[in-house]
Amino acid sequence: MRESTKMLLHYITGLLIVVTGLIHLLANNDPNVGKLITGNVYLYLTNMSVFLASLLYHAFNGIRVILIELVPDACWTRLIGWALLLIGIATYAVGIQVLLMSLGLV
Amino acid sequence: MEQSSMDLWKPIKVIRLRVYRYNPKKDYFPEWREYEIEVSRGTTILDALLRIKEEIDPSLSFRYSCGQALCGSCAMMINGRQMLACRTRVLEVAHGRDLVELRPLDNFPVIRDLACDFTSFFEKHRAVKPWIIRKDSDELDNPTGEYKQSIEEYARYYQFTDCLKCGACYSACPTTATDHAYLGPQALSQAYRYMVDSRDDGFDERIPIVDTEHGCWRCHFATSCSDVCPKYVDPAQGIQLLKKLIIRRKFGLKPHRPAEVLPSKIGEVKRR
Ligand code: SF4
Ligand code: SF4
Ligand code: FES
Repeated sequence: MRESTKMLLHYITGLLIVVTGLIHLLANNDPNVGKLITGNVYLYLTNMSVFLASLLYHAFNGIRVILIELVPDACWTRLIGWALLLIGIATYAVGIQVLLMSLGLV
Repeated sequence: MEQSSMDLWKPIKVIRLRVYRYNPKKDYFPEWREYEIEVSRGTTILDALLRIKEEIDPSLSFRYSCGQALCGSCAMMINGRQMLACRTRVLEVAHGRDLVELRPLDNFPVIRDLACDFTSFFEKHRAVKPWIIRKDSDELDNPTGEYKQSIEEYARYYQFTDCLKCGACYSACPTTATDHAYLGPQALSQAYRYMVDSRDDGFDERIPIVDTEHGCWRCHFATSCSDVCPKYVDPAQGIQLLKKLIIRRKFGLKPHRPAEVLPSKIGEVKRR
């Protein structure tokens, strides 16, 4: 994947964090939106999975950027990318499992 | 009383120049050496260094060539800021005090004293292919006319043609300080300069060079580079425009909207 695609995703996930984070906040604190979102478990699940995915991508890509600037070595850069991708996927899987359990879906 | 032009060159103050001395081949550590010289209003840092070399310490090393802010070889840290020695007056940077500190550019290995090694800087410059790339090789070999360009097309890259390759921006860049593989503000803004040139066909050739882990995306837009450029080039802006160019291309959009660069921009840049 070209660096521009990774960074474009970084900016898009930044925006998604704001939007889905706001929905999440309103769902838990605003009675009207809360009824609408938490009332529909799949809507809530979709919002939370997009929120979690965006948050993880944005955070781990940020860490990748910091690390490759600190250790500018081609082999190390590739290693950092793969390691963070695997940690990110594992964290996402655990997050989704917790979410499904809390919603009583598993 | 009227001042004659000769009065401008009369010594009016004694200044202490604190100069960084280091020969990596011989010395374990760098050291600071102080020289006292009389300066007049017009004395530049380069004049002062030349006088030290001629009259006090011939072993002092520094680089210069044109003496008139054209070649970029005399860039150094003057009181902690990247400047051209030939264009900086001693009394201007002394700010009423009697001490001026000179050291080599940051982010460059030192060859000796104030002279730095520009090898990697020029390698990065060369890496972005800073020349016009054309597909019509027949026309190149047997030209039938000039490659014409409108004033709007010229205005897109005009300011970047002023780059002296002095290294001041590279030296001020915090990303370059940690990421030695980062292409740096000079090379990236030059890549932009050629990629938007309407006569150039090398866009796709340069993409794999600038759109990489250590390419334009590593610029955090702190603009320290533009802040110190002695020729008022704005490399930070060039890098942001380069990012925009790449993203627009990704979505199949034209590099620029027609109204984006107005002819008046040239006048604006020239007035600075
Ligand atoms: S952009 Fe400015 S500071 Fe950087 S190398 Fe060119 S002239 Fe020097
Ligand atoms: S704007 Fe970009 S290139 Fe310029 S100093 Fe900052 S990080 Fe470096
Ligand atoms: S000596 Fe050429 S720019 Fe200073």
